[in-house]
Amino acid sequence: MKLKNLLLTCAALVFLTLTPQPGLTQEEKPAISLAPLLQEQLVYSFNVFDGKGWSGGFVPKSEDTIYLIANKDNALSAKKTLVYFWPITARYMAGWRTLNEDMQGTLEILKDGKLIDKLEKQDTVLSYPEGYWAEITLFYTAEEATEWHKRYKDAVDKYYEALSKFYEARAEYTRKMDEFFEQIRKRREAGEEGPLDIEIPREPEPPTGPDFYVTEPTRNYVINLPVGEYEIRLRADDGTIVEGSEKNLVVFTARRRGGVGYEIIPGNRWTAEEQCNDPADAIYAAGRNLLYFRPYQQDEYNELYHNKLLDPQNEGMKENWKWVHTQPLENVYLLFYSQDRLLERIDKRPYKVEQIPGAELGYNIVEFAPEYPGDKPTFEGQQLILSEELARKDYRIYLEDKEENTIISGSEREIRLAKKENVNFLYYLSFFPLIIGGIVFTFRRRKVKK
Amino acid sequence: MNERGISLSTHSTKILTRREFLSALYGWGFYVAIFISFLVSSLILRNFLQGIREDNIFISSYPLNFPLFVSMVIISLYLVIVSAVSISREKEQGTLEVLFYGPVSSSSFLLGKYFTDMLLYLIIAGFFSVYFFGVSLITNLGFTVALGKAIFVSIFIASCVISFGLFISSLTGKVRSSIVWLIGILIGFLVIWFFQNMFRGIPSEALSSWLIYVQRTLNVIYYFVNWVSPFSYLSRGMESIGVGSMRPFLLNILYSVVYTVVFLTASIYILKAKGVRA
Repeated sequence: MKLKNLLLTCAALVFLTLTPQPGLTQEEKPAISLAPLLQEQLVYSFNVFDGKGWSGGFVPKSEDTIYLIANKDNALSAKKTLVYFWPITARYMAGWRTLNEDMQGTLEILKDGKLIDKLEKQDTVLSYPEGYWAEITLFYTAEEATEWHKRYKDAVDKYYEALSKFYEARAEYTRKMDEFFEQIRKRREAGEEGPLDIEIPREPEPPTGPDFYVTEPTRNYVINLPVGEYEIRLRADDGTIVEGSEKNLVVFTARRRGGVGYEIIPGNRWTAEEQCNDPADAIYAAGRNLLYFRPYQQDEYNELYHNKLLDPQNEGMKENWKWVHTQPLENVYLLFYSQDRLLERIDKRPYKVEQIPGAELGYNIVEFAPEYPGDKPTFEGQQLILSEELARKDYRIYLEDKEENTIISGSEREIRLAKKENVNFLYYLSFFPLIIGGIVFTFRRRKVKK
Repeated sequence: MNERGISLSTHSTKILTRREFLSALYGWGFYVAIFISFLVSSLILRNFLQGIREDNIFISSYPLNFPLFVSMVIISLYLVIVSAVSISREKEQGTLEVLFYGPVSSSSFLLGKYFTDMLLYLIIAGFFSVYFFGVSLITNLGFTVALGKAIFVSIFIASCVISFGLFISSLTGKVRSSIVWLIGILIGFLVIWFFQNMFRGIPSEALSSWLIYVQRTLNVIYYFVNWVSPFSYLSRGMESIGVGSMRPFLLNILYSVVYTVVFLTASIYILKAKGVRA
């Protein structure tokens, strides 16, 4: 009886859900609106060490845990902002432009419920020593932050000063050039022939801007903790705990350090690079291949922790591990081996991708030779050619330190040339159990007959 | 049970195992199941190899593990059906009643069935090794240590599958009802898995309140299914190899052993309680 009632209730619910609302015609139905519903929230904005440099983001109210890498400076700041859910990316977004209010107070760090540290805000800056678009980022705090920012400001001021002088010199140059042409014109008109002994004005060189960049100092709590699980909370100046400021803090470290990973740029699709990071990875190749290897040093982190560190709304599996490239490996040769025989020692070279002239798509990758001042290569790497004529089917690559002439540990990878032509033989192999079954069956019949 | 009783029980388990094992080995069903699993694997491998486009590369650690996983799923289906009908068939035909007049107990009978299926699986594992070694030679896809580990861990997963099948069989009296129950339960697992995965990708904000309730209920049910379904052990076992860490690998083996013991014990008690008649 109970089961019957339950089934009837379920059927009624399904019916009600599927039945359209009475009284609403097609015209009266409201239009779909994607105007986000803004909600004021206390969030943490961060600039955390991600294994390679420092990257930023924010922790919405929906996430109760912040993930950090151990023994590195990380900047955290409590802010009030407007948060909305964006269904297209299924993520909470922060409306910083509408509301970005810094929360004042002391950040308390607790371990096992005991207060272990109290942090006050301090100045922090991010420095990009090779420029904003380069791969290296550095993090400075307190006086160092101010000092680096001042250094950058001075460099910028110096640049603008030089630029101002350059514009003056340029105006002077233009004026001298006019005079120069005027003199030539006059002397030619006066009947002078042959080379004229007039000094050509020298064009001024434009100044180069600072080759580094330092962000404006911002005031943040700087957290640097050993591996462990902690809690944080913000204590306001009136002594109360700020509502919504309590978060768990997971501080983790790399499982393996100093591994070697490769970015591989296939010659026939140079924009779609491949990653070969796991030491167990094998490179399966078919046909003729032109590969450009870019080796990196890498550390292995827990996938869930690292994904959450980059963006607390990310997902990942706690059981999985991921390799994070930390810095490019310079001064190395790529060794190409067939069994124990060294086939090739390959050095890094710069390459340039040149589009084929005309309307058709296509490009050539050529060794880079600067054609004009400031010309730069598209990429650099060790070029390996896997030709169809290679005798064996299994090869290995290693990295060799140029200075010490030693193989770099963890750099070994297997290259296997897949035998695509044999693919139909796989079906024949499937019949193998039936053959065994036939043999057993025949054997059994003979035995029974006997 | 005294010493003579244990010895008799062991002896009857051995005889039952031998009888059942030879019977399965001399039948075609066993070889056809392996053949089908290899045929599907070959199809996957063919697509994989053709996926490596001409003049291109493909990077993978364990290219043969997925075909092995698919083969395992097919073989598990075969094993679970064979185990599920084994007791109910004996009940239906009345042979179980005859057997139990002799020195055969519920435990020796069930263990006999379990060891038979396990021996069959060990032979299947041998077939797997030969087949994938052959695949490696033909295609040059590496027969890696991880593949060896996967074949090893598959033995424990087969143990889960067999004990689950025996458990279903002990609950039912007729072959038809065994198969209907088994198919029903497997479809149930599949439906729960499917909907749980579907809902997992949708954030709560995008769901209506009663769908949130459904989502949460499914999560709870899925948590239990994850421990009961032998196929969850299969996918976890394969994942543990992909992770590359020994801890999940060993843990999965331990869980499989516990699963087997629990389900075999439960089957013995159910068989005792329900009797030998269909």
